[in-house]
Amino acid sequence: MMIKRKLISIMLISIATLFSQTTFAGPMLSMELTRGISGAIPIMFTPFAIQGVPPTEDIAAIVSNDLKNSGRFKLSTGSIDDKVIGTIQEAGVNRYQVSFQLLEGFKGKNTQPTVLLNRKYTVSGDALRSLAHHISDAIYQQLIGVRGVFSTRLAYVVVQRNVNPTKYILEVSDQDGYNPRPLLISTDPIMSPAWSRDGKKIAYVSFENQRAAIYIEDVATGSRQRISEFNGHNGAPAWSPDGRKLALVLSKSGSYNIYMMDIASRKLTPLTQDHYINTEPSWSPDGRNLIFTSNRSGNPQIFQLNLDSKAVTRVSYDGNFNARGSYTPDGKQITMLNRESGLYNIGLLDLDTGVFHVLTNSSSDSESPSMAPNGSMILFGTLYNGRSVLAMVASDGRVQIRLPGRDGEVQDPAWSPFLS
Amino acid sequence: MQLKNIVRSLAITGCVLALGACAAPGHKSQDEMNGADANAGGVQSSGVGQGSNFGDSAGGPQQSLAKRTYYFDYDKSDIHDSDKRAISANADYLMAHASARIILEGHTDPRGSREYNVALAERRANAVAEFMKAKGVNPDQIRVVSYGAQRLASPGHTESDYQLDRRVVLVYTKK
Repeated sequence: MMIKRKLISIMLISIATLFSQTTFAGPMLSMELTRGISGAIPIMFTPFAIQGVPPTEDIAAIVSNDLKNSGRFKLSTGSIDDKVIGTIQEAGVNRYQVSFQLLEGFKGKNTQPTVLLNRKYTVSGDALRSLAHHISDAIYQQLIGVRGVFSTRLAYVVVQRNVNPTKYILEVSDQDGYNPRPLLISTDPIMSPAWSRDGKKIAYVSFENQRAAIYIEDVATGSRQRISEFNGHNGAPAWSPDGRKLALVLSKSGSYNIYMMDIASRKLTPLTQDHYINTEPSWSPDGRNLIFTSNRSGNPQIFQLNLDSKAVTRVSYDGNFNARGSYTPDGKQITMLNRESGLYNIGLLDLDTGVFHVLTNSSSDSESPSMAPNGSMILFGTLYNGRSVLAMVASDGRVQIRLPGRDGEVQDPAWSPFLS
Repeated sequence: MQLKNIVRSLAITGCVLALGACAAPGHKSQDEMNGADANAGGVQSSGVGQGSNFGDSAGGPQQSLAKRTYYFDYDKSDIHDSDKRAISANADYLMAHASARIILEGHTDPRGSREYNVALAERRANAVAEFMKAKGVNPDQIRVVSYGAQRLASPGHTESDYQLDRRVVLVYTKK
């Protein structure tokens, strides 16, 4: 029988613009796909008609970059029988109506392409970029079967050493590095950003006043409160799935132990109480377990604490260094920082089979793995040309993306949850 | 002999109050260097250098006090023998000045996991703190802050950069 060669084509209907006042701010981070997968789906963006002044946001370019950078799609220029269908409508002052159709066509066959998606939106000019990411999400979900993360955000720390004193910035950007916004600018270090489950707040550690304390800051307004300032270190905040508690690390007892804090009451409950180093807690998606880093068996390894039974079991066995573990969204795997032959890599451990894979493929050290909310990619820090940059690797290791920073060293990243 | 000791004590106090701003013995002072410009007409004058009235050539007490960064080996929190004299000198100062206060900052190199490195760095700072307390320093005079790898001494990523990162820094917050 005829082999179906599916070529997907996207037709994006353009928007007419009346005004093009907004200036275009370049991204803090810019993505470079370094390795896509061989089974990537070919996808074609047909040129769309522009009526009037070109829009300030090139929706087709944003969507095509999103899909290309996921590593799951490759931009195709092959020929296909298809039709471009669309309408262009202005919808008022700085408002646009955007329509798109996702068509599945059959190469060489004289049939009507199938309409997989047919959507229409009316948005303000400010929302064009967000809309493009939303369209990417819809296409990704339709073709891959998994919710897309193109509308999520990244938090990370920028360190600028070319000024005196060194400047530390906690910054939030879109998932593709655009729209960077500072949440905190400081001359003292900032570390361990952690998004709340609804994506509205970020907890972090700041060393202002020459002491580490944990703050919670509202992402939209920038208002913040200091919620943990005990003697010694206050660190590694981790939000519970229900958003009501933070697991955190305090050294006030004389050694590093993990505590649970009820955020409303500030009440503290110790979870570990020994003389080892216990740090970097992370919650299981069902909220019933915490994994954490501990050197109780000699070298740093990942351990799991059952919050009901209080039983602690060791989780990592590959190599003599495993730290900073976190679960995939389905709770079945753990990503972690692993050291092998002196090199720090990002790895993924399957909890059912015990099989461990190293995902990164670099001669430089990696750090700080952070899982995407759909489990598809892991954001982490690494070195490139002697500078700290962010990178992403797919959970099957086959896609790698680099996000070099423009204005300094970039480190300690945290991927937001799904945002609406 | 007694006068020498008084001079020595005054010099130590003076240096500490200036928090390291004074020149170590054996170095030319700024005045002497400016004086050389006045001889630009071809006449070359030279001084005989500042004599060392006090302290030994191999690290006098004021040099020991001024040495406030102590380095550590990879994955270790053992104090180097070569640092013990300087730490002791600062311990002596603290014991002689009950209102003086210090912070001991702990640091690691940037490899590994950030929050775990904070714990490792605190071990280093605690090692110095315990050494001082064993000498008799009041614990209230010492505060330990661990920065982990958050305040790197060197921005590079070679082993010689990492050596500079692994340190404890003693900072006087009150003299």
